[in-house]
Amino acid sequence: MRGATKLYRRYGRKRSVGTLKTALLSRPAGAALVPEAGVAALTDVSFEVARGETVGIVGSNGSGKSTLLKLLAGIVRPTRGEVEVRGRLAALLELGAGFHPELSGRENVEIAGLLLGLSKAEIARRFDDIVRFAELEEFLDAPLRTYSSGMAVRLGFSIAAHSAPDVLLVDEVLAVGDEAFAHRSLEKFSEFEKAGKTILLVSHDLSLVAARCRRAIWLDAGRLVADGPAPDTVARYRERVAEREGEKRLAPGAAAPAGSIGSGRARVVAVRVLDGRGRPSGRLRSGEAASLEMEVRAEPALRDFVFGFALSTVAGQPVFGSNTALEGLDGEAFSGEARVRLEIPTLSLAPGVYSVDAAIHAADGAPYDYRRDVIRFEVTAETATSGVWNPRRRWRTEGGVRWKE
Amino acid sequence: MSKSSDGRPRFLSPLLRTLRQRPLVVALTKRELSARYRGSALGFVWSLINPLLLLLVYATVFRFVFTPRADVRPYALFLFGGVLVWGFVSAALLDAAETFRTNGPLLRKTTVAPEVFPAVAVGARLSHLCLALPVLGAAILFAAVTGSASPGAPLFQFPFVLLLLTATVFGLALAVSSLAVHFGDVRDLIGNLLTLAFFLTPVLYPAASVPQRWRPFLWLNPFAIFFSSVHESAFFFRPISASAWAGMALTAAAALLSGAWVFDRLRDSIAEEA
Repeated sequence: MRGATKLYRRYGRKRSVGTLKTALLSRPAGAALVPEAGVAALTDVSFEVARGETVGIVGSNGSGKSTLLKLLAGIVRPTRGEVEVRGRLAALLELGAGFHPELSGRENVEIAGLLLGLSKAEIARRFDDIVRFAELEEFLDAPLRTYSSGMAVRLGFSIAAHSAPDVLLVDEVLAVGDEAFAHRSLEKFSEFEKAGKTILLVSHDLSLVAARCRRAIWLDAGRLVADGPAPDTVARYRERVAEREGEKRLAPGAAAPAGSIGSGRARVVAVRVLDGRGRPSGRLRSGEAASLEMEVRAEPALRDFVFGFALSTVAGQPVFGSNTALEGLDGEAFSGEARVRLEIPTLSLAPGVYSVDAAIHAADGAPYDYRRDVIRFEVTAETATSGVWNPRRRWRTEGGVRWKE
Repeated sequence: MSKSSDGRPRFLSPLLRTLRQRPLVVALTKRELSARYRGSALGFVWSLINPLLLLLVYATVFRFVFTPRADVRPYALFLFGGVLVWGFVSAALLDAAETFRTNGPLLRKTTVAPEVFPAVAVGARLSHLCLALPVLGAAILFAAVTGSASPGAPLFQFPFVLLLLTATVFGLALAVSSLAVHFGDVRDLIGNLLTLAFFLTPVLYPAASVPQRWRPFLWLNPFAIFFSSVHESAFFFRPISASAWAGMALTAAAALLSGAWVFDRLRDSIAEEA
């Protein structure tokens, strides 16, 4: 394979035609077969992969990763745009596709091999290697239904690994089976790499992608967000995931959702939990700095206003609560948009999940917008403690107590 | 007309691809057959027992209950050949209508050419028919020994009739399978059409028993020529006319080409819809 170009435009997945009648009655006849509207699984994705490159594809569920592989494999066609692959392609979208439980391992190897595009002669030539790699020599003539699921998966992987493609598409199927086999499948993967094969790997295992791939592509909602060296792309993707967990945008102007009370004269637009470096994060480390931030809006302007945050455990136990009035801040004017941040130099919370309430209210306590359980975050720590407080501390003993060295 | 990269008309490609995928078609057909019978004590014997029971029922009913026309006696034998072959046609087309639903996971997870599946549907049903043919052979032999039939060389035309019929059925299966995956009502439609076609095709009766003025309409049914040829070769033991051969060959070619054309038009979205 020499430098394949893959250009995708839009890909509409489901169409609304259910019956032949509808298709024939629509004007012009058959027009309903052309997918115009539809959910775009991939939108205008373009990239090129050179021979011998190992490319990881990351993204959240539903971001279009599997559709991308299916397009590359030729299982589905792009609605717009072009896909071109040079060389022989093997798609490991599912291990043991085509396996039949009543047939023996031997018969299943042949069918699975043919499905992967091998010829009968090639299967015969590689048969022993396939079986040896899967470590199933003794069970070859037993029906597949008598195999353990691990055995079947090993056989499936082995067939695919021995299909000697130029381009290998892998969807979450590495590291199958027990420890030892997972290790060997990763070795096989490295072998492919050394042999100059092109590999596209879809995986949620970000450390695997960062470690095994030279390059990574990040898809989000069907669009290509980043394409570059794997560690960079993975880092950016991780950041984004944390960011999403650490921020909650609230529908502006919408009817007050459950958990919100207040007159609505001022609104909480978004609430964020920020880590020590000021980045939104759903996971904070105990003992480090953290902040709670709310984006707020008042229209028309307000003179009487107080901002407050409260923390509680998810079980409902209050942990902390304070507001600007309690801390001596006296409001003069609040108009338009603003950001209110509560900075905590040392987060002395014990490991666990905490829930945040955010509120804007009048000095007499009448709420403008009070959001209960608006966002949650997790606190991690090196040592486990009980309770909710995790202060900086030290044990000191005097008198007749000795500790082992 | 759109052409593929090798210069052939594009609509031929489903046929060429099926030819190229022959080993896979054979392997999947075998899988279908052996998986069906594995685990049952009698295994392949079932494919002999079923037609044998059918034959016994016919022989009993039409000997003791109901007396058929003189020109089709022994009627059990007349009926048997036609019903066996019709069973192949209708089962193959019904299977073809289901095949992409049944094999959806394979279609979505492998790069296999979808043409393979209607071919396997037809191949598996053809194999069943071939496994039942020894019973037909034995019935003809029995009839010959008891003097109620006098088989001759024209019997050897039967395999060729079957070959052309299989080509026709495959052509139709290409169209049926690709239409059925897009349109939910095709499967029910096929079931009803097949019931209708069963009575409009000379299966239960010889073509000669259709009144002269209706005869031209009979030949509008593409299956009619095949079943009258089945009767000619495997019951009357008469040579099949050149015009009948030409009719069968033309029907087969037309079915293959139109089936491939329909399939090619719908091919791209099969894996999505299955």
